[in-house]
Amino acid sequence: MTDNLNEQQDIPVSKVQRAAKFISTGAKVGGNYVKHYAKKMVNPGMDREELHQNNATDIYSSLSQLKGSALKVAQMMSMDKNLLPRAYQDKFTMAQYSAPPLSYPLVVKTFQKYFSKSPDQVFDTFTRSAVNAASIGQVHKATLDGKTLAVKIQYPGIADSVSSDLRLVRPFALRILNMNEKELDHYMAEVEEKLLEETDYVLEVQRSREISGECSHIPNLKFPTYYDELSAERIITMDWIQGAHMKEWLATNPSQDSRNQIGQALWEFYHHQVHNLKQVHADPHPGNFIIQENDQLGIIDFGCVKVIPEDFYEGYFALIKKDLLVKNSELDQVFFDLEFISDKDKPEEQEYFKSIFKEMISLLGKPFHVDKFDFSDDGFFEKIFELGDRVSNDKLFKKSNQARGSRHGLYVNRTYFGLYNLLNQLQAEVVTTKPEWLE
Amino acid sequence: MESTTVKKTTKKDYRKLILESFKNHVLEHGEMPKSVFKFAKDMKMKEEDFYTYFTSFEAIKPAILVDIFDETLADIEKQGVFSEYSAREKFLSFLFTWIECLKKNRSYLLSLYENRAKSFVTLPKESAEFKEKFKAFASEIILEGKETEEIANRPVISDRYDEALWIQVGFVFRYWLDDRSPRFEKTDAAIEKSVNLAFDLMGKSALDSFLDFAKFMYQSK
Repeated sequence: MTDNLNEQQDIPVSKVQRAAKFISTGAKVGGNYVKHYAKKMVNPGMDREELHQNNATDIYSSLSQLKGSALKVAQMMSMDKNLLPRAYQDKFTMAQYSAPPLSYPLVVKTFQKYFSKSPDQVFDTFTRSAVNAASIGQVHKATLDGKTLAVKIQYPGIADSVSSDLRLVRPFALRILNMNEKELDHYMAEVEEKLLEETDYVLEVQRSREISGECSHIPNLKFPTYYDELSAERIITMDWIQGAHMKEWLATNPSQDSRNQIGQALWEFYHHQVHNLKQVHADPHPGNFIIQENDQLGIIDFGCVKVIPEDFYEGYFALIKKDLLVKNSELDQVFFDLEFISDKDKPEEQEYFKSIFKEMISLLGKPFHVDKFDFSDDGFFEKIFELGDRVSNDKLFKKSNQARGSRHGLYVNRTYFGLYNLLNQLQAEVVTTKPEWLE
Repeated sequence: MESTTVKKTTKKDYRKLILESFKNHVLEHGEMPKSVFKFAKDMKMKEEDFYTYFTSFEAIKPAILVDIFDETLADIEKQGVFSEYSAREKFLSFLFTWIECLKKNRSYLLSLYENRAKSFVTLPKESAEFKEKFKAFASEIILEGKETEEIANRPVISDRYDEALWIQVGFVFRYWLDDRSPRFEKTDAAIEKSVNLAFDLMGKSALDSFLDFAKFMYQSK
């Protein structure tokens, strides 16, 4: 019982309180900068890594107390490793696992609203406290007719608070992502749209079923069955996927073959979605994958699905064609289409940005340029981080007052970074299949 | 024996009938009925029979509030798990269920209470009976909370906790009346958050340690 209490004690109560939370973090971050420069005067050699470390700790401790969209943004930032200095990353990844839970009476109430029954009446057994926190709700374990089920319940009022939460996060994102305002707003609109979609559990069930059906032919993948009669706007009931999270599984020292098998399944899962379905599970953080016996990969949580528009798809993936980097005129056109450069840029700006994007693309496209790619190659990731750090600290980039890159790219990039990162954690070697037109 | 039970049920039905007709009248006319005579006639009962149950229309309104409260308690009982709850969960569960019961009477409550600057909590006459019953219910929760040390025993203030919870009931009621969110989701969030705050305040906190320390310093001077 005391456990329950502790679980509930830290949810900031009102919008005002939440805002206060952010402000106090802001003050701390400001303080860290002051400290940083003070130290730097004494010791000019000190690098920014320590500063980032301090900031990350303060920002995380504030974010972890907020449920909902703020947590979601923390997750997003933790995924966009290219945008985020290294020290923030580890802290933010923690946000993927913990969030303050709903009280049990509220769970009962939610059930009564949608099914006019309490969870005890609907299921044979139902855990009183959450077994897992989802970003905008929580998961309870239940049984019914001998089946073990996962029941996901959403926090009430999340949908309404998405927009105001994002406004609260904005000043922070500006500071720690090193973006200018225009660029940020350009992406925030996309993030807001996706977050709102995530609060729609009916849509999630529909998409889960659609995508898992379409992907059922891929070997070594496992999807839960979803139960419509036990799902509603704020409740999703699906099969409980038994198994270990990636970290736990990796701790058991699986063989290279096992790693490769999981990695391959993961790659093919994404390949099929991106190139054939044109809609993709855009939330590849480790918490959404469960590894089962015999190295089967269970996939849960289709809350965040990005539909890839056709014209964006063509431009974006044309970039990873190996020989394209040589043909300049064609490349320029693609850059224009994807909004990397525009007519408003000065010629030297255009040249500068083109050179940066070319470098990025040749780096990120690397796995596509070979038949088999070894994701355990940390050097590859070092280069990506190094480029990300360099770009985000670049003065010309910060000064340019327009957003670079189509908004659709945000989630597609996130998906690929997430995927690469997962494969790196797995230390897997993967046959990097590509669509025929890219061969 | 048998005849008394029959009599009892009919008696109860009459009371219920009056309450229902009263609600209907308020809903359809947007105001309270003008005369008991007309009201009783419409229900095909004698005026003097009306007085067996209520002395005036003013006496009906509190009865409806109490009825809703009783219904809430009955619903909570039905849920089964109530006795296993902690004090905090019990109070949460009460408010969630109470709002459900209020929902069935929302139009009636809106037409009577929406336009008044203050909620029924500050209308002592109408809510006195409800308040009394609620406080009895709340005291039990508080007592239990004190036993499990979920609620801190503080001199003077802790005797007023039932009053504090009553004010919270008023807050939730007001919030719900003004709530325009689908399925009253915001009210749910408001309940969850405000109850957590209330129980955090009532629970042992840094404040207690501070007072304890202050007392010690004062006494040991």
